[in-house]
Amino acid sequence: MRLLRPLALGTLVAALSVPRALFAEGLAQITSGPTVANAVEVHIGAVLASNTGQEFDQRLASMHRQFNSLFPYSSYRLVKEQRQQVPWGGRVGFDIPGGWYVVVIPKECKDDRVSMKVMVLEGARPIVDTVLSLRNHGTFLVGGPRDANGVLILSIGADRLH
Amino acid sequence: MTCREASPLLPLFFDGELDPRQMRAVAMHSTRCENCERELRQLERLQELVSTTIYNAVDEIDFSEFPAGVVARLGPVHRPWWKRARRRWEDQELPWPQLVPAFAAAAAVAILALFLFTRAPQPLNSQPGASQVATVDNTTSIDSLDADVDSVAVLNDPETSTTVVWVSDDAASSEATP
Repeated sequence: MRLLRPLALGTLVAALSVPRALFAEGLAQITSGPTVANAVEVHIGAVLASNTGQEFDQRLASMHRQFNSLFPYSSYRLVKEQRQQVPWGGRVGFDIPGGWYVVVIPKECKDDRVSMKVMVLEGARPIVDTVLSLRNHGTFLVGGPRDANGVLILSIGADRLH
Repeated sequence: MTCREASPLLPLFFDGELDPRQMRAVAMHSTRCENCERELRQLERLQELVSTTIYNAVDEIDFSEFPAGVVARLGPVHRPWWKRARRRWEDQELPWPQLVPAFAAAAAVAILALFLFTRAPQPLNSQPGASQVATVDNTTSIDSLDADVDSVAVLNDPETSTTVVWVSDDAASSEATP
């Protein structure tokens, strides 16, 4: 009995005192697998937007406001999502439905901003070639590539790994 | 055992610091050896003398004010609240049925805390399966932009801090341009 009381108190105190960030980071580690040290995780989502139907993919729920205020489409469907870890200066490529290909080269992270080169290619033809910097954990959108069923909107983001 | 072997062991024997086998051997020897027996008695007298001297010296010291002096120098003891709570918890000899609700409450709070903490606000787009930009600062600065298309537009939505690079490859697609 005397042992159980401190044990219960200890459990309670420990549960309350463990930093939230530790939990979040731990979960992120578990869900995203092994991380590459001193690297960046680039993620890209391909969204098919169209005016056919009123579907809004629940996986895009958090982007509902952005899509509704930025684009004139009635239907948004996440058709592919990929994420890859790459060292700084490395190159990572993503196949996009419709014959598109995205190449991302993260350059550096300075003042919590990730600068990177992004190329969107249609076959071998570069459609967009841009160098930009966005906030760590931020996302920007590339839209316009036409698919047979609508327009593709790509969300491209980067998370710096520690 | 001979006197030569026993003599250096006599002080240790007297203090009880020998192992059982040596104790027996020295004891047996001393019952038969006058010299060693005499040495042991000298050790006894020496110890008595030392003890008596010390006791007499201690008796001459006045300890009557010692406890009060210690208490005066201790001052009030401040225990942290959690130690007081733990002490109170440990001092209570409550039966099991009365403790069950307390344990249940503690477990519920711990589970609730765990649940809340594991739902800590993470970078939204770090969650697999959903590209999320809603609560993240997505401000993007474009250093250079080349496009091999008919038109390209860069949109910045201040409301959502979202940057869009919009490309359209033919005139027909302009209808779809946001």
